[in-house]
Amino acid sequence: MSRSTPLPPLPQPECFELPGGCPVSVLRRAGPAILSARLWIRGGSAGDPPGQRGRAQLLAGLLSRGCGDLSGDQLADLVEGLGDELRCEASEDALVISLKCASDDAAALLPLLGVMVQSPWLDPDQISLERQLNLQTLGRLREDPFQQAHDQLRSHLFGQGPYGHDPLGVEAELAGLDRPQLVDAAGALGGHGAALVLVGRPPKDLIELLQPAGSPAWNCRTPSLLSGQEAKNEPALVLEEQDTEQLVLMLGTATVPLADPRSLALRLLQCHLGVGMSSRLFVALREDHGLAYDVGVHAPARCGAAPFVFHLSSSAERAAEATTELLSEWQRLLDQPLSEEELALAIAKFRGASAAGRQTCGQIADRQAMVLGHGLDWSYADEALERAGSFDPDMLHVVARQLLSRPSLSLCGPPRALGAAGKVWGTHPLGRPSGVQALS
Amino acid sequence: MPLSFPPPLQAADSFEDPSLLRLANGVEVVSLRQEQAPLVCLDFWCQAGSAGEEPGQEGMAHFLEHMVFKGSERLEAGQFDRRIESLGGSSNAATGFDDVHYHVLVPAEAVTEALELLLDLVLKPRLDPGDFRMERKVVLEELAQSEDQPEEVAFQRLLALACPGHPYGRPILGDRRALKAQTPDGMASFHNNAYRPRRCSLALAGAIDQLPIETLLASSALAGLDSQATAPPPGVALELRPGVHELELPRLEAARLLMAWQLPAAADLEAVAGADLLTSLLAEGRRSRLVQRLREDLRLVESIDLDLNVLESGSLALLEAVCAPEQVAAVEEQIAVVWQEICCTPPPESELERARRLVANGYRFGLESASSVAGLIGHQCLWGRLQPLSHPLELLQRWSVERLGAELLPLLAPERACRLLALPA
Repeated sequence: MSRSTPLPPLPQPECFELPGGCPVSVLRRAGPAILSARLWIRGGSAGDPPGQRGRAQLLAGLLSRGCGDLSGDQLADLVEGLGDELRCEASEDALVISLKCASDDAAALLPLLGVMVQSPWLDPDQISLERQLNLQTLGRLREDPFQQAHDQLRSHLFGQGPYGHDPLGVEAELAGLDRPQLVDAAGALGGHGAALVLVGRPPKDLIELLQPAGSPAWNCRTPSLLSGQEAKNEPALVLEEQDTEQLVLMLGTATVPLADPRSLALRLLQCHLGVGMSSRLFVALREDHGLAYDVGVHAPARCGAAPFVFHLSSSAERAAEATTELLSEWQRLLDQPLSEEELALAIAKFRGASAAGRQTCGQIADRQAMVLGHGLDWSYADEALERAGSFDPDMLHVVARQLLSRPSLSLCGPPRALGAAGKVWGTHPLGRPSGVQALS
Repeated sequence: MPLSFPPPLQAADSFEDPSLLRLANGVEVVSLRQEQAPLVCLDFWCQAGSAGEEPGQEGMAHFLEHMVFKGSERLEAGQFDRRIESLGGSSNAATGFDDVHYHVLVPAEAVTEALELLLDLVLKPRLDPGDFRMERKVVLEELAQSEDQPEEVAFQRLLALACPGHPYGRPILGDRRALKAQTPDGMASFHNNAYRPRRCSLALAGAIDQLPIETLLASSALAGLDSQATAPPPGVALELRPGVHELELPRLEAARLLMAWQLPAAADLEAVAGADLLTSLLAEGRRSRLVQRLREDLRLVESIDLDLNVLESGSLALLEAVCAPEQVAAVEEQIAVVWQEICCTPPPESELERARRLVANGYRFGLESASSVAGLIGHQCLWGRLQPLSHPLELLQRWSVERLGAELLPLLAPERACRLLALPA
């Protein structure tokens, strides 16, 4: 049985609001003299308009390529000259600016956050470069069979919807993006809410640094709580032919947003199935059958219907066995509740993973900015840790049957393996109602 | 170039130095308390990487790392993982060319139990024949997964070409033929030879306030290691072979220009610090020489990276440029031009200071988590190089532009590199 001890709650932050409405949370922390900042701006690639997929990521890359009084080179000189890091990336739900710096440097760098979101240059020459780099990266990602299997499962589960494409975009649409669309996107930053979290040893006069005297206020607000639509899953088999040694299998479905109360049950199921070397999939597929090296569950937190995906890769000649065992594990989730012992271990792993995720300023800033960005409270993670203790196996089973009953299978590998795996899928209760959706 | 001189390295750091304990059998145990850490990391290190494998043992160091988790004389397969994870902990391991380490991250109140479990598991593995056969399948799947990544295949080929006849030229994962011929008895012999007091260290970092380390270890499997140890075999000196090679790979979407240079070995701490500075000056950040020229100005590459791999027999600087196949010649030419320019016109002091701060902050950020600190001090202790935490920062100050140019820049001359051009088939 589990003997894990509760994690001490994260201290409450100092909170204030910038003129214009952006909420700021500051957590002072002992340790090295560093500061991590995350500005989580709702509206990532899920907000890319039709025909403009890739816009959020392209904009993210451009925010540090010239803003306010600084050219891209000057900004890089400032940040790199101090030995620090300032990045901006788009995820599905947000555009996130990340700053990691020595505390002594924070006074010079924190004012950049506001300038980047309010006054990006969007210089045509830099747009051309950033767009070219993103197009090249999209092409290179095709080398990875895991990426291929993931892309086609995502495309099937979410189609033209908000999560149907990689944040980098779709090549044909990305190639057509230019300054007018980016100006629109930049003007909308903050309109759906944002949250700034600072963790570590911040400098004095923080408010003045974040909102220098005379600088315009950034119109923004506290992110609201979202209630995403229930996903409509259509089970299917999707295939990609590749001349590889292994077959990559991804079995998954679209579920619920982080804010949905059932997402905690899914998180516990993920811990049971895929976290650590005692996890169910690791033991059943790797240790008992030697079918795979890497096996796990991909279940990211999302503002909308989040994917919940089993993944592994196995030698082509073992495709049928790997598919059979993977489908059996999914079916097992639907057919029987976890034992009390399994649930206790899942809760212990959930607590352990939470503690491991609070080791660095950057980890805490990442997590808390995401939580606030979803419209949840600062104490959401601690409350979830407490609520986890109140679950019983039947409660998890009910959620599994509600949300995981109609998975789809994505395969990438050589033709003979696709054929063998497809045959297993076609005769399994999870796959029987469906047909092959794509074969390239 | 930087707009102005940045201020000197920050003085706000207050590093506590690691404590060293030597057990009666010679094993060294190093520990460091971290005020803000919520967890404790236990990290066992051993000089048992793939470089110590004899012919026929290729892949065994890594395979053994897998087998260790299959249980000990006292622990059934899987029992270690269940017990550690039920305590709210996690564990993992990694095998390199020179060494292997096994680490566990647990809450402070679980350290006593976790320490006993970890040392029992690592030092007394069961190596059950049935588990051995099953785990070999897993290792072969790991090998296949790696071979399905064309970039991995290209890097492995580069190392084979650059380090012929040296263990660094062989895959750590081994090869199928050797793996299929290996036996539990052979692995037990490998373990018995390598996991010896003078070749092991243990590190503890994080929330270890008032932890009675000496008492905890007194009756542990670590203290019970036979002190009549064999000395580690002398490492084979590395002599990188320069050359120019080409390779066509299926499923490669973009060309790769890969280059490898030999740099001073890990034991030369000062030279390693200098190499860190030089590789950062060349390729870390948008304003570094190579990134600025090849990606930002000429737009020849999607990315260009230059990584320093610090190794016992001789370090390796590995460059990767990702570009369109038709740009490869221009990329290669420009890399040579950048090198020539720095040789002819030493970079300004401000550029060196930028690199110094990038390296220093990277180091400083790496001291936050218990895992990274345990890894750092455990590795230092393993190779007899334990030093105050501030020492690497001090070493950075000993390098001037002139000294880098005289001592290290010539080592990165294009003609000293082993070059591999990987093209889409």
